[in-house]
Order: sequence, then C-alpha cells, then structure tokens
Amino acid sequence: MTITEAQQLAYISGQAAEARVRFELETEGMTLNIGPQHPATHGTLRIVVRLDGEQVVWADPVCGYMHRGYEKLAETRKYQQVTTLVNRIDWLGHFANEVPFILAVEQLYEVEAPPRAQWLRTIFFELARIANITLFLGEMGVQLGAFTPVFYAFRDREHVLNLMESVTGGRFHPNFDRVGGLKDDIPKGWVEETKAVMNKVRDFCDEMEDLLVGNEIYEQRTRGIGVIPARVGLEYGLSGANIRASGIDWDIRRDSPSPLAWKECDWKVWTHTDGDVWARYWVRLQETREAAKIVDQLCDGLPSGPIMAKMPARLRVPKGEAWISTENPLGEMGYYVVSDGGPSGPFRCKIRTPSFNNISIVPWLLRGVYVPDVISILASLYFILGDIDR
Amino acid sequence: MSDQDAPAPADAEAEAPAEPTTPPDPAREALADALRRDLGDGFLEHANANGDLWIRVSRDCWRRAAETLKVKHGFDYFCFVSGIDWLENPELSSRYEAVYSGDGGSGEDGGDEAAPAADAGPTLLGDRVAGGDTRFTVFGRVFSTTKKWGVTLKADLDEANPTVESWVTVYRGADWHERETWEMFGFQFDGHPGLRHMYLPGGFEGFPLRKDFPLLARMVKPWPGLVDKEPIPGEDDDSEQQGEQQEAAAT
Amino acid sequence: MGLVESGHMPKPLTKLLNTARKYSLWMYQWGLACCAIEMGSAMGSPRYDIMRLGVIPLPASPRQADLLVVSGTVTDKISPALRRLYEQMPDPKYVISMGSCANCGGPYWDSYSVTKGCDQIVPVDVYVPGCPPRPEALLEGIILLQQRIADEDMAVRWAGEARVVAERDPHAEVPA
Repeated sequence: MTITEAQQLAYISGQAAEARVRFELETEGMTLNIGPQHPATHGTLRIVVRLDGEQVVWADPVCGYMHRGYEKLAETRKYQQVTTLVNRIDWLGHFANEVPFILAVEQLYEVEAPPRAQWLRTIFFELARIANITLFLGEMGVQLGAFTPVFYAFRDREHVLNLMESVTGGRFHPNFDRVGGLKDDIPKGWVEETKAVMNKVRDFCDEMEDLLVGNEIYEQRTRGIGVIPARVGLEYGLSGANIRASGIDWDIRRDSPSPLAWKECDWKVWTHTDGDVWARYWVRLQETREAAKIVDQLCDGLPSGPIMAKMPARLRVPKGEAWISTENPLGEMGYYVVSDGGPSGPFRCKIRTPSFNNISIVPWLLRGVYVPDVISILASLYFILGDIDR
Repeated sequence: MSDQDAPAPADAEAEAPAEPTTPPDPAREALADALRRDLGDGFLEHANANGDLWIRVSRDCWRRAAETLKVKHGFDYFCFVSGIDWLENPELSSRYEAVYSGDGGSGEDGGDEAAPAADAGPTLLGDRVAGGDTRFTVFGRVFSTTKKWGVTLKADLDEANPTVESWVTVYRGADWHERETWEMFGFQFDGHPGLRHMYLPGGFEGFPLRKDFPLLARMVKPWPGLVDKEPIPGEDDDSEQQGEQQEAAAT
Repeated sequence: MGLVESGHMPKPLTKLLNTARKYSLWMYQWGLACCAIEMGSAMGSPRYDIMRLGVIPLPASPRQADLLVVSGTVTDKISPALRRLYEQMPDPKYVISMGSCANCGGPYWDSYSVTKGCDQIVPVDVYVPGCPPRPEALLEGIILLQQRIADEDMAVRWAGEARVVAERDPHAEVPA
C-alpha cells in the first residue's frame, strides 16, 4: 500500500483547504440543501452541505428516502422468493444481486450448480455489469454538463437488456437464478447475438473515450478532484472500482474462491494510482471492456450439460450460517445468511451493499471542495440509491 | 487457500450442521492463536468456515479485537457491522407451513416445531456457528487486501443492556454501520459520536429488525399467497386441502 | 381566460385548447427507484423517444410542470417531500403513478417503511402497472392521459373540481 506523490499532495492540499476554511476565511456560513429530489443525486439522496463562500465546510448525506426494509422482508419470504426482492437492491446490476445470495444458500445446502449453469451465471453477471456501468459512463457526462453521452449509453444499453430479456423474460429484474442452477437454458442463437452485442459495447467504450476522456474541459473538471488515499478508502470500506482507482489491486472475482467461471478466462484487473474522479471513471471504462472480454471467452467455451442440479421442490436448508460476497458492478456485495433449519426462508439475511460504504466517505471527502466539484465527486463515487438504503 | 472453495461432501453435514465445513488452515490457525494470546480470556472460540475465520470474542474485547486485527495483522478493509436477534419467531417460521401445505403434507416437520414454541413463549435459536447463547449478537467483518481473506468477529450481548464499544476510532467507516445497527436493533455503541437515525424518519418507534417487531401490514392483510388457488408446481399437496386451509385462514 | 372563469366555455374552444394542452405536457419526473431507469429509457433512448408524444421532460422546477410521474417506491420518509412538490405545481396538473410500488407498494407491501401507494398522498390520474413497467407501458399511460385531457371540460376543472372527465372514473373517491 504505497501512497503516490500525487495522492500525498492532494491530501495535503485538502487539509490545507480545510485549515483555510477554518481560520483564514472565517465568514458567515450558509447551509445548502441538495435533494432529496435532485437530478444530480441519481434518486433521492439528500445532502446537507454547509458552505463558506464556495467551499464546503461540512457535509452530511441523509439517506433513507429509499429504505424498503429488505433485511426484514427477507426474513418473511421463502428462499426462492428472496431473489425477487434482492434483484431490486441495485436495480442496474439486477442479476448480479441474486448471485451472492444464491451462492450463500447453496453453500448452506451443500449443493453446487452444474458447470453450464455456473458459466451462464457468470455471463449474466458480466452482462449486468455492462448494463450497469454503461449508464455510469454516460451519466458522468450529464453531471459535468455534457448531455450527449447519456443518450449513447441508453442506446447501447438496450442491446444488453434485449439479451437479458430474450433469456429471462425481464429487461430489468430477471429473477432467474435458482438454488442449484438456473431457471432455463439460453435460446437458440443467443451466443452469436451476444458476441455481436459485445462488439457494440466495445465500440461504445471507444466512443466514450473519444467523447469524454480526451476532452480538455472534462479533464480539468476531474483531474485531481476528490482524491481518496487508499488507506482512508479502505478504512471507510470502499470497494470495487472506487478502491481500485486508489491503487489497491483487489478484485473479489480474481482473489476469492468462487464456483463461478471467472477463473476460466483471461482478463485483467485494472487499477489506477491517482484516486481522483478521473481515475474512477477510467477504471470503470476499462472494467466494461474487460467484462465484454470475459463474456466473449465464456461464450466460446460454454460447456454443455444440465443447468439445474437435482433439487427437491421444497427447500429445507439445514441450520447454519454462510457469508458470500462477490464483486458486483458497484463493489463488494455480500450476504450473511443464517438458516434456522426450518421450511421457511432465511432466519437472518444481512445484506452488505457496496454503495452504503462507498457513500459513507462523503463527509470526509467533501470537506474543502468547491460546490461544482460536489456533483462530480458524487457522480464518480457511483452509487445507486437502492443499494445505499436497501 | 486453493482448496478452501471445494464444497464439503454432503454426508459430513447431516449430523452436525454447526461444525466448520473446511479443514483447519495454517495461516488462519496462526492468526487465531496470535489473537488468543493478545486478548486472553476475551477470545472465546473460533471457526474456519469457507475461507473466512469466524471468531467470537467477549463483549469487553470487541473493540480491542478489531484494533489488534487492524494494527498488528493488517486487516485494513472494513466490511460491515451488524447484529442478529436470535429470538425465534414462531409467527414467521411457521408461516410457510400454515399457508402452503395441508396437514398431511408436512405434519411431522413443520407442525411440531411451531407448536412448542407457541406454548413455551419465544425461544432462542441454538446451534450457532461460533456463537453463544444470549439473545443478541453483534458481528462485523474486516478483510485484508494483502492476505485476501477476512475475519468475522462476533460478540454476544445480553438482552437487557445491549452495549458494546464503538469501532469508530478503529475504522472510520463503522460510523454509519453502527448508526444503522442502533436503529435496527437498538444496540448502544459506547464512544460513537452520535447515534442518529440513519434510514427511518425521526419519530419512528421500535427496532425493526428485532424479531418481536411486527409487520403491521401483515396483520391487517393476509399474505397474498392465500389468494393463489394454484398449488405450487412440484408440491405433493392436493389442491382441495389447500383450498380448505385458505378458507380457514381467511375467516 | 375570462371565459373559463365564467364557467361557459364554447365547445369548439374547449376542444382546441385541450388539444393544445395534451400535446405540450411538461413532465416532472419523480424518479425514485428501478422505474426511474425505465422512465429514463423512455426519455433518453432513441428507441422510445417520449418527446414524439409531445411530452417534454426535464423542466427546471415543478412550478413549470403539468405532469408528475411518480416512478418508484414511495417511502414514508419521502412522502412529505412528494406532497410538497406536488403542491408547487400549477393547476391543471396530472399525476401518473408508474410501477407497482407507486401503485400499491408492490413487492414491499408488508414493509415497515414503504407507503402503500402514492395515491394516499397525491391524486393519481393514470396507473401504469409493472415491476418495472416497460418504457412502452409508460408511453401508453401517457396516451391514456392525453385521451383524458381531451375529454376534459375545462370550465368545470377550473372551478376547482378535482377531476372531471366524461368517462367512468374508478378512483373518484381518492382524497385530493
């Protein structure tokens, strides 16, 4: 864990800004309330910032406007019904939410899905990642005043959603993962179509790179803004691209044992040392390309065979506890499932969502920044409200 | 670490579900020993489950354990803090049996589990992995981005006074998680800068994730499954029996 | 608009004004959850293109909007804000409730923190079912709303009646 010189400088300048706010420019403050309904917050996050001039002295995010009580509701549902709920936590990464829960239940039940199901799961997982991150890649432009990218994102996202729909019947919430396998096999011709769509996704990434990454205005508004030193990020529990952009080379897909098929393909975990808004965007851009690569390789080597292990119609999960986390589009998403051995659903289902931790750094990160940068920093942390509030 | 993900054979499970399903691992055992030396009597037990180390510590050692892990052993990444209420809720666990199956379908497994609980009042769930026997457990997980595996810490809290030391001084990210746990379970975290509501509006009463918190909507409205006249595919209960059950439940 | 206030609107004029109104709806999008993304697809994606129906998304504030689309889960915490922004909209105003959560609570019907239906807070004109509804469903909801606007008697509407339409109204008892 080395801190680069740029990080250190940015950290020191952040501290200096704080000191300046405190002592030199002591003026009458102003409290600005952003949200709960504000286009810049992707939903209903409310942020109360106290300003001094144009610098933020103190910021406090108020969450809970989208709190739906998943953990309590999961206790009142059967295992098969819980996937319907958890689909909707991170609504852009739909399928990716089901997988860790199902894996945790499979671990408790001591069953493993057949290889074809694991490969298809991995493909859908990566498709969900693409569907999720493409929107971020476009949305980032909107936050900085460029409207075009988001239209491209919506256009190319449709192709991925079509793929999901042709398999699962749902554009958004597939509810396709079952304990012991998948609900159905893929339709005929799906693999070829997927590979065509992956080419479109790669084109989209190139397009975004041309539109935003090389743009001078964009660079000026993102370089050196919102720097998160790796040590601080880890203490706050940042995960996913947010922490990889601060130089931590950690990806659960690669580093933790998992029955899914990531280990079968050749791909790379991208990191960046700057830790600023630009780096977070760049890491996600590379991640989308890698996801397309993974899908391509998995489509080539898709094994044949059944897609469902032998399972009884009525699931009776033995007593025990299991923790499984996966590298979701937003970061580490994990489920701590406690089973009481009864025929009903989980006894306790703790859902660890990435955005909750990712956004908890905001009070620290926003101190001393200027108001326009608040928006770009928030957008670059990339949170989904359902994922924060659950 | 390579063999941690291999699923244990199914026959090892049936008798003792609370046993760790993976063989002891030298690195994890070494950490457990080191931690036992540091904490002394505060270290209660540990289990090695699927690549993660689960450690139960006493309530007084809760913060010290996290601090030791972070400072001495390099567990730099904070994952979460939350709680479990082990109170068995007969209303919820018997719901599935009451709604979806007739008397004949599952008489021996579902029925007699719920019945004694209703007589003797609420009971606590036993057979926990690295768990004690009080009503509340606070648990949190930290991870090492260099070792690539994590530790789940657990501590038992008693029902009358669920208080532990806060982790905020160790991991800054614990701030929000402890606010959430306070809101959902009513645990007090000593040393936390301000336990305010995280999710719910200010005037909310009760702690929703405690098992005795009722879901009011379920009391005024029957479970929508009751409306469903079709039996679940693959179930062996016949539909007339289910129909009778639904009518009985609806009235 | 003296005619409207007097309560006697000539039929052809009503028809003309209604036609004009129904094709220039400024839509204030209250994007809350998953449905907001489908609403975003309807607005931003070239495949659906909500603007061809004469709906203009993204007004600067609710004070410039005619149509409120509540898309997503309304929780007890957000509902005062929803009511407040609804009240800031100028009359005549319309509400589309998009998705199961906004209609009745949806999958969270038994949750302790979710408002079971946004019609408890604002009067709803059109309900769009689905979880989430496809963008096409939202477009159909808007077409239904436009039919309703075309049938409206403006003079009665201006007189302060909550909802006056020729067709059968199944939600007439919802408190305004």
